[in-house]
Amino acid sequence: MHTYTDNPRFPAGSPTTSSPPLGLGLVETSSGPFDILTHYTTTLDSDPDLTMPIAAIESLVALLSSTSTTASTIAEFLSIIETGISVLKSSVPNAISLSAGCDLFLRYIVRSLEDPRDFDACRAHLLQHGKLFVDRAKSSRWAIAQYGAELIRDGSTVLLHSHSRVVTALLSFAAERNIRFRCIVLETAPSLSGLITARILRSKSIPVSVIPDNAVGYVMAKCDMVLVGAEGVVENGGIINAMGTYTIAVQAKANKKPFYVLAESHKFVRLFPLNQFELPVQPQYQNLLDFTTEERNANDQVGKEGEVGCVEGTDGKTGGKKVAMGGRGKGSAPLVDFTRPEYITALISESGVMTPSAVSEELIKIYS
Amino acid sequence: MSTPSTAAPAGPTQKPVTPKAPKPQKPKEDKPQKGKEDKPQKGKEEKVQRKDDAGPQAGALATGGEAKLTPKQLKELKKADKQARRAADKATAGVAPGGKPEVGAGGDKRGKPQQGPKGPSTEKKGGKADKAVKGSGATVAAHAGQAVTQRAPKKEIPLFRHLESPGQGVNLAGSHKDVHPAILALGLQMASYDICGSSARCVATLLAFKRVIEDYTTPAHTTLTRNLSSHHLSPQIEHLRSARPMSVSMRNAIRWLKLEISTINIDIPEHTAKKLLLDKIDSYIREKITIADHAIVATAVEKIVDGDVIVTFAKSNIVQMVLAEAHRKKIKFRVVVVDSRPLMEGAQLCQALSEFGIDCTYTLIHALSYAIRDATKVYLGAHAMLSNGRLYSRVGTAAVAMYAKEFEVPVIVCCESIKFTDRVGLDSIVTNELALPDDLTNLSITRYHPIVGKLSKWRDIPNLNILNIMYDVTPAENITLVITEYGSLPPSSVPVVHRLSTNQ
Repeated sequence: MHTYTDNPRFPAGSPTTSSPPLGLGLVETSSGPFDILTHYTTTLDSDPDLTMPIAAIESLVALLSSTSTTASTIAEFLSIIETGISVLKSSVPNAISLSAGCDLFLRYIVRSLEDPRDFDACRAHLLQHGKLFVDRAKSSRWAIAQYGAELIRDGSTVLLHSHSRVVTALLSFAAERNIRFRCIVLETAPSLSGLITARILRSKSIPVSVIPDNAVGYVMAKCDMVLVGAEGVVENGGIINAMGTYTIAVQAKANKKPFYVLAESHKFVRLFPLNQFELPVQPQYQNLLDFTTEERNANDQVGKEGEVGCVEGTDGKTGGKKVAMGGRGKGSAPLVDFTRPEYITALISESGVMTPSAVSEELIKIYS
Repeated sequence: MSTPSTAAPAGPTQKPVTPKAPKPQKPKEDKPQKGKEDKPQKGKEEKVQRKDDAGPQAGALATGGEAKLTPKQLKELKKADKQARRAADKATAGVAPGGKPEVGAGGDKRGKPQQGPKGPSTEKKGGKADKAVKGSGATVAAHAGQAVTQRAPKKEIPLFRHLESPGQGVNLAGSHKDVHPAILALGLQMASYDICGSSARCVATLLAFKRVIEDYTTPAHTTLTRNLSSHHLSPQIEHLRSARPMSVSMRNAIRWLKLEISTINIDIPEHTAKKLLLDKIDSYIREKITIADHAIVATAVEKIVDGDVIVTFAKSNIVQMVLAEAHRKKIKFRVVVVDSRPLMEGAQLCQALSEFGIDCTYTLIHALSYAIRDATKVYLGAHAMLSNGRLYSRVGTAAVAMYAKEFEVPVIVCCESIKFTDRVGLDSIVTNELALPDDLTNLSITRYHPIVGKLSKWRDIPNLNILNIMYDVTPAENITLVITEYGSLPPSSVPVVHRLSTNQ
């Protein structure tokens, strides 16, 4: 069995995608159109702790159940799912973690369908296990918290960047276990998502100091470790994460501080970026290099619109709050950069602590 | 080894002289060589002796002498003879390990007729020269030198002595009687590098084996399963191996083929079994090479973007396919082909690419530091991927990768999983392949019309050795990405994919 026949990297543009989406988020199923995008955004909105890949998988499961009575062949079944995935991918500006989750789910389905003797039983099984899949993905955050809490020692200082749910979950867990530690949080301009982290941690009685991003080199000597989350973990064990992560990683390496990444395995994505400019972000959302001789006014600056409460999103569903939460819906996207594996000490996923080189092995196991 | 006539026949007449075997010239380096040399030499001497017996005069002499010799004496005689020959050899070859002055100075020796071990040893060369030789020491030495230089392959680089010395073309006459004509032809093509490249050799081997299997009939009282691989394929494999050391891909394919043969049900009739095997070989080629190549090309092309300057070294078929496909997709990029002597494979690649209409630059490896400066990506082919993530490829590849690493240019290796091996390699010395030194001294690009260069007479220059190795090992740290049919991986995942591709 070979992955190239059903390479999950290219489902979006693949010819198997049936009809083009009708409306913005509509997927035509034989039982009528299903608005997967609406489902996705309402799912996201309903639970602030939900991450994009899980919301996407939940929406796909909902899509599956809506087709459960009508799709009669495997090909039809798969093409509906693939259409759903491509709709999601194309309508969310920063689809790295989302596509990781979707690809994993698709792979899971294809694998379940490998023995298609009884299609109806297969479909029932899928629906049931799709929900299980979501539950497992949700619980992985707590598994990571338990593994990762071991890394935080009493009296240590942790440097944080941006806002990551798994990082705050881990630190809360460590605080509950009466480990005394302090946090230095980078404010992470322009989205200022670091402020969210600071607010959450302070509410758990963890002492937090918020510093500007350009002070990272200044404070590095004072911290004991760096903890970050990830938008996506790529095949060589490098990570794609909020802009600035790469800078911090280089700084940490230069100061010989451990740099840990917390990432659920549904964020492992089959990508192999060779440099910063090969990331799968749509250029209109991340076009930092804009050489000009004219003076720009402040509002024009890149990412300015992402500031907390500063600008309302163009879409009602993704207001200013959502943007500050990391641009999960439509509208602006958080800027991302790529950190190479040689700067990463270890990755912590729900299956344990692993070196960056083990990521590829995990991915090969999943996808072949 | 093609000149047995010059080899010393163990003339029993020399009995009184030989025990004075040369001892001072026994450097340590002799030890590893000893085990290797012992057997063939013994065999040869026996053969030569038998030949002597056949000769009317010598025969009489020999038998007369033999009668007087105890087996122990005979053994000593042989030993002394071998030592003498080795000493003479060393003197002329000028391989002075660890700087042994009296050994290294070949010229010195020639001037000194009084050298104890030399006289007797040379005396034995060619029994007919018996009397004349006794005359002057100088002529003796000269004679010895001549005799030794004729046994040319003895000139070797100490560090690479363990490697098989390159075959002087295939000996058709000496091949096993069961070797199939297709295999004979393939052997010749491989020895002359007409079929070159890991995948091409693998495919050619499998196709030749198809013809072998087609023409195979199971002998009476045995079965195909038992007979084919052990009795019939072994001489074929042996012949290919003697033509040129086998590539990793060939070894993997042959291992697979033997496994397939061994699992054939004994009860099915021969023609069905043969048909089955032929089909399996076809699908193996299709799956492991053809489709794998398509998958690799599809993945590798995605990495090429507008404005790229791609450096590649020598010639890899898969890299050529990738670049051609990228061009077909109207990606605007430029290629710098870095090449090296003596195979000049890069010239072929450059020719092909420029015919496609790709913007190409051709340069030799000594201009690497300039070539790499503009590069945005380095694409390399592979002979093999070792289990520790290292790349085993045409000599020079390691230098290219090292430069690329130094200049922060990503190094991408395109490699089918059939070229993966579970071997681990740390350096380019333990495993390598020696090519003919003459290919390096020959200034022409073909063996058939050699152009004499300054070093063409290297065999006559005692203190000159030529090293022409085929491969080197690139450290995993210098490789960014390995593209296989299983997708893109860091070099550290090679063993995982190898396990995956062999267990299925």
